[in-house]
Amino acid sequence: MGGISFGLLLRIALRSLVGHRIKGLIVGAILAFGTFLVVLGTTLLDNVERAMEESITGSLTGHLQLVSTEADDELAFFGPAVASDQDLASIADYARVKEAVLAIDNVQAVIPMGRQVAQGVVGNELDQRLEELRAAVREEDGEKIADLSARVQRMVRLLLVEKENTREIVANPEELDEGIAHLRRASSDEFWAAFPADPIGSLEFLDTKVAPLSSTDPGIFLPYVATDLHAYAEHFPHFEIADGEMVPRGRKGFLFNKTYFEETAKNKVARTLDTVKEAIELDGKTIAGDPLLQEKIATGTKYIRHVTEQLGPKDAAHVEAKLRELLPGTEGGLQELLVAFLQVDDATFAERYRFFYDVIAPRIRLYRINVGDVVTIRALSQDGYMRAVNLKVYGTFRLKGLERSALASIYNLMDLMSFRDLYGLMTPEKRREIDALRAEVGVADLDRGDVEDALFGGGAEVDTELASGAVDVDAALAAAGAELAKATDTFDPADLERGMTLHAAVVLKDPARLAETMAAIEQASREQELGVRPFTWQQVAGIVGQFVLVMRVVLYVAIGILFAVALVIINNSMVMATMDRVGEIGTMRAIGARRRFVLALFLLETVVLALLAGAVGSGLAVGLVALLGKTGIPAAGNDALIFLFGGPALYPQVVWANLLVGLLAITSISLVSTFYPARIAARIAPVVAMQSRE
Amino acid sequence: MAGIVEVHDVVKEYPLGSLTVQALRGVSLTLEQGEFAAIAGTSGSGKTTLLNLIGCVDVPTRGTVRIDGQSTASLNDAKLTELRLRKLGFIFQTFNLIAVLDVFQNVEFPLLLQGGLSKAERSARVREMVEKVGLTRQLRQRPSELSGGQRQRVAIARALVTRPAIVLADEPTANLDSATGTAIIELMKQINADQGTTFIFSTHDPKVTDRADRVIRLQDGLIVDDGRGVKAGAA
Repeated sequence: MGGISFGLLLRIALRSLVGHRIKGLIVGAILAFGTFLVVLGTTLLDNVERAMEESITGSLTGHLQLVSTEADDELAFFGPAVASDQDLASIADYARVKEAVLAIDNVQAVIPMGRQVAQGVVGNELDQRLEELRAAVREEDGEKIADLSARVQRMVRLLLVEKENTREIVANPEELDEGIAHLRRASSDEFWAAFPADPIGSLEFLDTKVAPLSSTDPGIFLPYVATDLHAYAEHFPHFEIADGEMVPRGRKGFLFNKTYFEETAKNKVARTLDTVKEAIELDGKTIAGDPLLQEKIATGTKYIRHVTEQLGPKDAAHVEAKLRELLPGTEGGLQELLVAFLQVDDATFAERYRFFYDVIAPRIRLYRINVGDVVTIRALSQDGYMRAVNLKVYGTFRLKGLERSALASIYNLMDLMSFRDLYGLMTPEKRREIDALRAEVGVADLDRGDVEDALFGGGAEVDTELASGAVDVDAALAAAGAELAKATDTFDPADLERGMTLHAAVVLKDPARLAETMAAIEQASREQELGVRPFTWQQVAGIVGQFVLVMRVVLYVAIGILFAVALVIINNSMVMATMDRVGEIGTMRAIGARRRFVLALFLLETVVLALLAGAVGSGLAVGLVALLGKTGIPAAGNDALIFLFGGPALYPQVVWANLLVGLLAITSISLVSTFYPARIAARIAPVVAMQSRE
Repeated sequence: MAGIVEVHDVVKEYPLGSLTVQALRGVSLTLEQGEFAAIAGTSGSGKTTLLNLIGCVDVPTRGTVRIDGQSTASLNDAKLTELRLRKLGFIFQTFNLIAVLDVFQNVEFPLLLQGGLSKAERSARVREMVEKVGLTRQLRQRPSELSGGQRQRVAIARALVTRPAIVLADEPTANLDSATGTAIIELMKQINADQGTTFIFSTHDPKVTDRADRVIRLQDGLIVDDGRGVKAGAA
């Protein structure tokens, strides 16, 4: 630069900026906004990613998941793939994998996992009442018999009304006639007057002719993760028992996710009122101001049957009387009163909520399943058969901070041993036992397909219901072979290590060294032929893991567009500024400034402007992040947001590296957009200085 | 003896649409060190073109222009810039001060471009020149705060601060009132006498040509009169 000091350039640049304030302010404002957006956007995304990482790794996946190298599908905990059957093969020799992976220095724990979508079978309401009645009859408890008889009679009456109504609208009403006749008989006072005389016969009639008419309970859709429950509890910090107790060591058992449990097992009317209460109290919503809440309330009235059919005659009368007191002037019976009762608004909600829990709730079964119950859990096993296990529900658990996120709460927990039974993968021992049994019965050379063919005729479609019940060969064989184990719900905790697992979570000491540890696991797997491949929590989180990536792409596209606009505007205004300054530049050139000087001057002006504007923009962004870090960004009860925020609100922290990124980005974009006008300026001939302009 | 400025048979053509306009049609002249010369002529006579060629902001189409023995035709932009910076000072009709710099900074600017002087030396040089043009009290003012005459004084100080061999002035009084114009010419004349700086200025103002030692008259791109050492009172 021929001895031109940077100081001179800077001084002229600064003075030019001051001299051309308006241009500076407009361009500066755009640059400041751009920086603001870059810094704020990237910082928020980084924070969401951190929060999401914390909630996913701390509740479900661990930092890494090990999956068999034989797997055809990618493990995905969330998203559409959850419902479908993923072919993950399995890790056959888990003990060896665990030992090898634990030897890597950053690995804190390796926890076996299996994952499946099962069905929880609970008998329907009538079935349950009849069973209670049978017990009462057995115990000769006259009072209980009278109460339950009245309840069952009432339920049958309601069922009769339902069937008669159905008859009005169906195409073949006569098909219902036989059932209606049974219901008429079972709801008549004569039937019940005769009941004490022949309770067994009457129960037989009710069980075989009436109960099947009651709509069958669809069961509960039960996605679960099976694991070494105690290791899981120790290494997943979000886990906490909410009700009941932890499944004891060496016991098979089931734990419901509390949120999931409330959503699926609780009486629908009660659940509706709970959700409305949460929205009002936790999210500050009002019924009047939230159409979604109004819809929820409207839907809630459709579940009135869940209340009415559970009330015995005495209770029904009591509730009806209380409701009439609460809602004077309402026409009709209990049904109509309940409909009117559930038409809540902001003024009446608190009172009605209290009424429901004081008057109605104690008289109905609030949950379809209770802690301590044994549920039948059925699932389609890998070998194509429906398998079932009976498991005690020891309790419910919550994922701290994520209680209100349905997305985070879709998985319940089961012990790994029951999973092995349900998943239906052959263990070597099982295989040996079955082979022995086959040899005994002379089917040594038949494989499973052949067995099916032999039983059902070639190619016949297998009714899984049937298969699970009567003729599940594998299950029958397995049952025969492992009768002792099945008879009890205990197991040797050491068995958790032995045998297969579907995949396994790896919890790291230092999550920042994830990539390094992953490489170490890959190497160990190769060298020791472990047959496993590690995936990051983000990879296995499925669609959720991609969310931040998608948001990042969206943000970068938005920033890209903003930058393109900024580029054009800066370029334009700099070209215009150059035109304004032709005389000045010509003069500089005439009195001895070289082209490079002019070029440098223009670029420096932009850099100074970019840095100033960048400082303002990033300063604002940092200020906003700091403020949000104090107040928190509420997830507003939004399910996905709660999950992404790792709790009911996100408290973002300033990520200083993003400041640098923002400043660098804005400076580069300014330099690029100034380059053309600067070149124009540098080409201005010194002779223009001599041309008179006034 | 070679002059500080030697113009030999210079032709300067400009394209004007499809036509070519000859601004200078074969001009030759020599200026000695220390001359105080005016180039006079009507608008379009070629006087500004001639001044541009001598000022190295333009090069001739044909012929040669030598400044201190160096031909400008063979020099690239960087070399011409260097030549302007080292040998020439410019005074413009419209003053052409850098609006964003104050008086001191405007005068200091060419010294900074030249480099080589310490801050103290630069400051001394600037103050000396500013004192010489009588603007010591306006040192920290911006051009917009000065009168026309004051601005042209700043321009003179800026042109002279590098101690150039030649100062070129393009109609230096055109935008000044008569009294101020005269005062500016007197100032230039005095510096010429004190420091022996060669002054070449274009003008069509008789009051200015009256003060010149030599008046070169141009008409239609040719020198029609070169009154060396003669007062051109006839205009």
